[in-house]
Amino acid sequence: MNIKKKNLEDKTSTKKFIGKTPPLGGWGVVLIVLIALLVWYFASDPTQKFTSSDPGMDNRGKGNLITEIINIGEHFQLFKEDKESKLDESWPRFRGPNFDNISSSKIKLANSFSNGAGDILWSHELGEGHAGPAIYEGKIYLLNYDEELRADMLHCYDLVTGEELWRRWYNVAIKRNHGMSRTVPAVNEDFILSMGPRCHVMCLNRESGDFLWGIDLEKEYETETPLWYTGQCPLIDNNTAIIAPGGKALMIAVDCKTGDKLWEVPNPDGWKMSHSSILPYTFNGQRMYVYCSIGGIIAVSPDGELLWKTSDWDTNVIAPSALCMPDGKIFLTAGYGAGSMVLQLSETNGSYSTKILQEYKPKDGLACEQQTPIYWEGHLFGIMPKDGGLNRNKFVCVNPNDCTNILWTSDKESRFGLGPYIWADGKFYLLNDDGTLHIIEASTKGYKHLDSKVIIEDGHDAWAPLALANGYLVLRDADKMVCINIKR
Amino acid sequence: MEKKKYTRRDFINSGARISAAVAIGGLAALTLRNFQTEEMVWQIDPFKCTQCGRCASNCVLPISAVKCVHAYDLCGYCDLCGGYFKPGVKDLHTGAENQLCPTAAIERKYIEEPYFEYIIKEDLCIGCGKCVAGCTSFGNGSLHLQIRHDECDNCNECAIARVCPSDAIKRVPASTPYIIKGDFIAEDKGKWENKA
Repeated sequence: MNIKKKNLEDKTSTKKFIGKTPPLGGWGVVLIVLIALLVWYFASDPTQKFTSSDPGMDNRGKGNLITEIINIGEHFQLFKEDKESKLDESWPRFRGPNFDNISSSKIKLANSFSNGAGDILWSHELGEGHAGPAIYEGKIYLLNYDEELRADMLHCYDLVTGEELWRRWYNVAIKRNHGMSRTVPAVNEDFILSMGPRCHVMCLNRESGDFLWGIDLEKEYETETPLWYTGQCPLIDNNTAIIAPGGKALMIAVDCKTGDKLWEVPNPDGWKMSHSSILPYTFNGQRMYVYCSIGGIIAVSPDGELLWKTSDWDTNVIAPSALCMPDGKIFLTAGYGAGSMVLQLSETNGSYSTKILQEYKPKDGLACEQQTPIYWEGHLFGIMPKDGGLNRNKFVCVNPNDCTNILWTSDKESRFGLGPYIWADGKFYLLNDDGTLHIIEASTKGYKHLDSKVIIEDGHDAWAPLALANGYLVLRDADKMVCINIKR
Repeated sequence: MEKKKYTRRDFINSGARISAAVAIGGLAALTLRNFQTEEMVWQIDPFKCTQCGRCASNCVLPISAVKCVHAYDLCGYCDLCGGYFKPGVKDLHTGAENQLCPTAAIERKYIEEPYFEYIIKEDLCIGCGKCVAGCTSFGNGSLHLQIRHDECDNCNECAIARVCPSDAIKRVPASTPYIIKGDFIAEDKGKWENKA
């Protein structure tokens, strides 16, 4: 009995011990937990599964390490003896005779495609690209990339018949990259100047096609060929070739006759060649060559003096050229989300400066991805890019004093692509990506569509600049060039 | 012979028999119809999609079943890819600061000058559509959004279909559950579906 009682007491005492945990033991458990938490905190790394994204993870190669031997202008073929043309008008370069994409011809042009207007007179299959033609008094000059021969090939055609008169070419390896060719030659009475996809400059005698000289800009000036190849259309001014290589020189001038270098503007900041082209501009009586490079915009006098430069306009891809207006405003635009900028150029005692007047994203005002807008009657006209918000792909008009205030747009259904447009005889002729040509009444008051016609069946990527002379409009898509007569 | 009188009871009996027959017939027809009708699933029409970003935030799953897919036959394999790089980047490298994708779900691989391949890592993709917007605005539109049916719950009322501003999400037969841009799917359909 006593033993049982003792056992019970023992059990009771055990219960008491369990029920009343000594205070020090409780803190011990808490301490252990805290220590465990601290160990876990310091030992674990919540970012341990993160991987860093560093430059070079794409294993980018070092480019073409094989040096290709390129003999600019080495091959020539004559098809037909030249004969005097009765046609007297020209579209001798990128953006036409006056660098504005405006035809000053007095010839009346069709308001509609009835009565055979727009019918194809002749056509030529071309290598994939967006190179546009130049026209000089009845002859067409086009720098094509011949995919079969793997060559930059300058063709001379008769404007009316489309017959090929001669061709000159040189072999150069080009891979497809959204087209290959994309420049318009510059032509004057005596010379033809072309620039190939990989920055090969070639100067020929216009009449005979004789080779005069060539420059490999990659080799001579360490030019970095732009993405999707050269888009800069070369310029001839006063028998001088004006080129913007980037690399070792921002801009150079070469005597068209001799090939002698007249001047070079150094490039201390390493600005690069863009897809934009050099356009001449006269401001306060001073002539200058204005060019948007990758890095900034420059203006150089005809004797090679750098008049001004600014890095205010610096984007990674620039296709449209600087549009300089009579009052010193310069409209700059680019695609890939860049938007637009308007600079005001000022001059004091021969010293030039620029000030940003407007700067905005493409959804907020006039912007263009590929084509340079047209300045006509104090207004700007252009096609909005795909990231242009509600106005995406519409043809629009703005006053350059406020490019964010869109004065009018094309209809909701009238949206266009990256194709070219020119002003001629009071109308805009606008080519859509798919080879459809639209006629739009030129007005600062509103959009009025006159007519449309599919010129190139199953056309695609019809982005090359148009050329118009004597009522003959030459246009192309990625693979084919055609000529139509749009005389009224 | 006296003609049997058609009583009210007869009328009720006939009515009940006819009703039962109609009900059984209807049920059989409905069953047969359901049996024959193909199962439908939700899918995004990439030609209507405006990349508004709601697919990422409105799907009932913790990580959206909407993923970016790539139609390689449409892709330009560009160095400057509008779907990979943020607008305005200067140096085209793979640093995080250059990438448009918030989760680094696109892998860029050099092939040969001047081509680069872009591969979607679907386990990282949240379906935000930023790359699709970039590709559509500046490229060929080869990147596009699709609902992945290995992840989708196929809800009776799809939460993202409800909020889609362009009515791009619709029911499609389960036998052809994807609307893929480009032609490669036509030739390679089996392989693609097996990946799902």
